[in-house]
Amino acid sequence: MNKTVLAAIIVTIAMLGFTYAAVEMAGGLDKLIKDGDWVNMLAILGAVILVIATTFVVTKYVRQMQNDTASGKLAEETWDGIGEYKNEPPFGWFVLYLIMIIWAIWYFLAGYPVNSYSQIGEYNQKVAEHDVKFNEQYKDMDDETLKEMGGSIFIVQCAPCHGLQADGINGQAADLTARISEKSVKYVVLNGSNSNLMGTSMPMPDRNGLLNSNTSALITDAEIDAVSKYVAGGLTGTEGADVFAGTCAACHGADGKGMEMVAPNIAQMSPEMVGMVLNHGKKGAIGAMPAFTNLTEVQHKAINAYVASLSQK
Amino acid sequence: MFHWLEKNPFFFAVAVFVVIAFAGLVEILPNFAQASRPILGAKPYSTLELTGRLVYIKNNCNGCHSQLIRPFKSETDRYGHYSMSGEYAYDRPFLWGSKRTGPDLMRVGNYRTTDWHETHMKDPVAVVPGSIMPAYTWLFKNIADVDTAYAEQLTVQKFFAVPYNTELPMADGSKVTVALADTLEGARASALEEAKVVAADMKDQAVKDAVAAGQVPEIVALIAYLNRLK
Repeated sequence: MNKTVLAAIIVTIAMLGFTYAAVEMAGGLDKLIKDGDWVNMLAILGAVILVIATTFVVTKYVRQMQNDTASGKLAEETWDGIGEYKNEPPFGWFVLYLIMIIWAIWYFLAGYPVNSYSQIGEYNQKVAEHDVKFNEQYKDMDDETLKEMGGSIFIVQCAPCHGLQADGINGQAADLTARISEKSVKYVVLNGSNSNLMGTSMPMPDRNGLLNSNTSALITDAEIDAVSKYVAGGLTGTEGADVFAGTCAACHGADGKGMEMVAPNIAQMSPEMVGMVLNHGKKGAIGAMPAFTNLTEVQHKAINAYVASLSQK
Repeated sequence: MFHWLEKNPFFFAVAVFVVIAFAGLVEILPNFAQASRPILGAKPYSTLELTGRLVYIKNNCNGCHSQLIRPFKSETDRYGHYSMSGEYAYDRPFLWGSKRTGPDLMRVGNYRTTDWHETHMKDPVAVVPGSIMPAYTWLFKNIADVDTAYAEQLTVQKFFAVPYNTELPMADGSKVTVALADTLEGARASALEEAKVVAADMKDQAVKDAVAAGQVPEIVALIAYLNRLK
């Protein structure tokens, strides 16, 4: 018997032996059959076929290398005595090759990317599909879901400045767990404000336009300090209450809840107000906040509700 | 046919050229498409912005940050509108980046402020818990290279006809002119003017003092560049 064939038989037997040993170590074939573990049985069958097929193919080509002699028609030209065959390609390959060329031409000219596919088109379609589904699913959200959604948007869009705890990271941004800080009240009283919080530009005058009707004089430094503390403290306490009543209440209301088209609510954060800030951005005591207009309507609603809820515990 | 080509080196060389040129054609032709022209609203970089861009490149920011928003909903939700070819018309070289270790910065100017960048560059973890970005404290001390940026502006104006000192239409209907100074002194002065605007929103006293004394720290230039990315 030929040495190659003998070697192939020995390798096959050895490999099948390893396979058998591996199966035995895993509990034996009986156990697999009993468990009905057909995935592993298929794997064993695959391993056996692979071993046999591999040795068969390798043996075939090793023998061909040993025995085969070249045949065919030589080309006329030779290079330093090295010739070249002029064999035709196998018929099956030739046909496949031809089909591939025809397909490639079709693909370039009629298929992708000229006519039938656009990445942006697919994007638009996917977004439109998603929006329809999203709007349907979250058409009537209860408060809980709304705030939950707002919370997750907050983490991505707002937390980098306002912090995961919404505390404004040491004055980096507004502390959203309170309506307004003492510093901000003071800034607004001193400088006036036109933050689009009402949706229209409704300027609040600076200190030179703020009259304290209790004293019939312009608001003083001491009064500003007192009223800033009072407003930042959520309109509680007695100190500063009289200044608020005399100066601020005329527009912001006696309870600080604002008046429509006149002045914003400074007692509480409302969803509408959060929406105004998101749409217009804001520039105030702390610095500038850019407008966030990249959110959908539903997302806007969610984030507004969430942020408003932060200071109303 | 092939045997004939093999025996005729000249025609063989021509055939090789044709095959290789096809690959070049596929790469080059799209650059002449309308989509690759500057889109409405694209404008060249001002002196300080370009200085900041050089700082960005020098510190290899593009090693971790991409500037390319792909048209996937998850990306456009987070970063804004997907990137368009014509938006990069004045980027030489473009800074698309190849890997996002940090977030994409293509439109960072839309949602971050001068103030935020300042805190973040000093101590990234202070504003982004768990961030692996290192602090770039030297940006606050190093003085930016405005001269090189000006040289680059002059070069692109001369050789690529980048429209400086030209009225450019913006998407909202307004017109914007990006000025380019005639002299190096003029360029330094205009960069300083831009730097003053940025420094006004910053907190670091050393940086403010440097700008007041007529110098442009790298951080100021970099922030001007980042704010410009929209």
